[in-house]
Amino acid sequence: MLENLSLRLRIFLFFGLIAIAVPVLLGAGLWLAAQRLEGNPVPHLVLFGGGAGFALIGIITWVWMMFDANVAKPIQSIVRDLQTIMHANPKHELKTEPARYLGLLAPVVREVADAFATARRDVAAEIAQATQSLDEQRNQLEAILRELNEGVIVCNADHRVLLYNRRALQILQTTEDLGLGRPLFTMLNRQPFILTLDRLTTRYLEGRHTTHRDHLMTQLVFATKDGGLILEGRMSLIVHDDDKTVRGYVLTFDDVTTELQALVKADRLMRDALEGLRHPVANIRAAVEMLTESPEIDAQGRAAFEHVLIDETATMSREIERIGSEYRAAVTSHWPMSDVDSGNLLNCLTRRYRDDDSIIVDIVGQSTWLHCDSNTIVELVDHVIRKALVTLDAETFQLSATAGERNTYVDVTWKGGVASPGMLERWLAEPIERGGLGLTGKEILEHHHSELWCMATEDGHARLRLPLPLPVDPHVATTSTAPLPIRIEFYDFDLLDRIETGELGERRLRDLTYVVFDTETTGLEPSNGDEIIQIAGVRILNGRILTGEAFDHLVDPGRRVPPLATRITGISEEMVKGKPKIADILPRFHDYVGDAVLVAHNAAFDMKFLELKQDLCQLRFDNPVLDTVLLSAIVHDHTDQHTLDAVAERFSVEIPPETRHTAIGDALATAGVLLKLIDLLEVHGITTLGEALTASKKIIEIRRQQARY
Amino acid sequence: MPKSVLVVDDEPNILLSLEYLMKRAGYDVRLARDGEEALAAIAASPPDLVLLDINIPKFNGYEVCQAIRANADLNNVRILMVTAKGREVEIEKGLALGADGYETKPFSTKALAARVQALLDGTGT
Repeated sequence: MLENLSLRLRIFLFFGLIAIAVPVLLGAGLWLAAQRLEGNPVPHLVLFGGGAGFALIGIITWVWMMFDANVAKPIQSIVRDLQTIMHANPKHELKTEPARYLGLLAPVVREVADAFATARRDVAAEIAQATQSLDEQRNQLEAILRELNEGVIVCNADHRVLLYNRRALQILQTTEDLGLGRPLFTMLNRQPFILTLDRLTTRYLEGRHTTHRDHLMTQLVFATKDGGLILEGRMSLIVHDDDKTVRGYVLTFDDVTTELQALVKADRLMRDALEGLRHPVANIRAAVEMLTESPEIDAQGRAAFEHVLIDETATMSREIERIGSEYRAAVTSHWPMSDVDSGNLLNCLTRRYRDDDSIIVDIVGQSTWLHCDSNTIVELVDHVIRKALVTLDAETFQLSATAGERNTYVDVTWKGGVASPGMLERWLAEPIERGGLGLTGKEILEHHHSELWCMATEDGHARLRLPLPLPVDPHVATTSTAPLPIRIEFYDFDLLDRIETGELGERRLRDLTYVVFDTETTGLEPSNGDEIIQIAGVRILNGRILTGEAFDHLVDPGRRVPPLATRITGISEEMVKGKPKIADILPRFHDYVGDAVLVAHNAAFDMKFLELKQDLCQLRFDNPVLDTVLLSAIVHDHTDQHTLDAVAERFSVEIPPETRHTAIGDALATAGVLLKLIDLLEVHGITTLGEALTASKKIIEIRRQQARY
Repeated sequence: MPKSVLVVDDEPNILLSLEYLMKRAGYDVRLARDGEEALAAIAASPPDLVLLDINIPKFNGYEVCQAIRANADLNNVRILMVTAKGREVEIEKGLALGADGYETKPFSTKALAARVQALLDGTGT
């Protein structure tokens, strides 16, 4: 039982025992002596014995205090420092000052700690070296996956996401709803996946896949929950042949919303056209046959039939006009095209002539955007330039691109003769080799639904004009999508085998999914009208911080932002004005959190802000909450400093100064601290969520009692 | 003296109607069935207006159009393109190459006659 008590308490009890034993034994000795002494020695014995007794107790107490301060406390401090060094931060500085009376203990321990840190560094270096080549391979695979132009999502059999690529995020137009370890159905419609997985599983279990044309793969069409996107993809099973189980599946997909809509529209137009033209043609044919085959018809009858002819031909003309314009609007080219910056396109061209002295090609004017297949267009323009060079004695060419109302015009201007339409026609009839895939210029133009012509300019130059479609997406001068952070956690295959069992409280801290979050506010009193102005969170899954799946939003507080808040957070009133209100952001954060454990530094503060808004948003944050301040107090009770800066420094978790006091910066730092704390908590025998919550409650109780004195 | 109109088309069925339509409007009408014939007729005697189809043999309508515009002596010749090509970019090409107007098939004869009249009067494009 004694072993469970702390060192200091045991020593205290030990001295306490001496302090009780000394007066008892002294008293007993003096009492025996009083029995045998003559006269009346009692007052003297009591006086001197008592004096000696009190002096002894005083000396014992003093020795205990010295012992506690110079032996017990330093030993405990060394033990804690050692724990930190071994389990959390090998660079942690061991304090030798308190242990100056322990002789060589502190220096020796320090040496041992240094040796340990060195050894660990060496091992780490070896491991790093060994894993480097593995990392390189993984990076290459990651790069391939990232740049794949198809969306890829891998799920386990529970439809939880193990992997996704950048394209998947783009296609689904999200960064918050798709996340590692989260259910796929946060944003996609459930039914197609359940059915398809079921079908493939049956095919596998019945062994039909060995003879099936598609083996373990099948096509499926699915949609986002809001119905905004229709996606077409393929699902392939991941199976474990040894025990015949389905572990998960790979989903590759693309957005076919536009294509499907266009197909449906083209189909309907075709049907409309056939039916719409059948009627007038039938009417005309009947009327004409009546007119020509009935010589007996009178003038009045003739006039009636003629009226039918006039009427129906007008109907037909209108119908053709309508179908034609609708068809052109609906059906885009099936040739793969993308939005291209004209600067890049024209640069591709000029590079071709850099080493050729007989031809000078320059780009003039601003760059703009267009929609085309840049490879074949570069070949086409190159082909025409070379033809003009040979046929028209042109030497100096100027390239430019101008955005018009319906098209972007790529112009090639040269000093020399104009290419006649017939000449162009002949040039365009030739197949273009190299990157032109053997297509003729005419075919390339047809893919782009375009034409090409050449005319004389006012200053006597010839200008070749190629109209190309305008960009599909509106583009600004720079790229419109913010670049994603370089190192992103896109996958976690450990989830493949993860089986969720047991009560949440019994699950191990390192196995849990966390959302570590932070809020920035207008002040410290939510009950007094202070509001959230920024909220950010990061997800931790299997001990990894998923920086790529961060939640980070400014919030319009609907009130003034005091200058002090602006000074601390760097967030001004202008920055939050017009941003979404908390009533819009909080439900999104609620979705983002899902069933994860919530973590914050001084969580009570942030939770109070959230809880005050719960009713407004009609939701509940009933997730378990961990507070890194309390967890830090459990493992480092010898220090009072539990500010985020102090704790982060203790664990060597770096907070870039520019992100300190931004919600996302603090959330990331807190996440780093949490991972270190989980390591240290295990040393203290706290491994499950339930134990961590119980220990946190104890710390709250202790703090409450301390506050009372 | 009546204005002269050259109708260029390779489809006899439409030539029949267009010839009749133009004659009824009081113009002096000549016909050409391909680009070569058209250029020869223009060289022989420049008409006031050419009704020009694009898809014609030998030289296509764009070529005929540009050949007319390349000759400064033919500055006064109005060109009205008449074609089944209805895409905007084709219309743009025709106008860029010097056509004064564009009608897509099928058209109303009444509207076409009005268009010709306007171009010859210099009041329309």
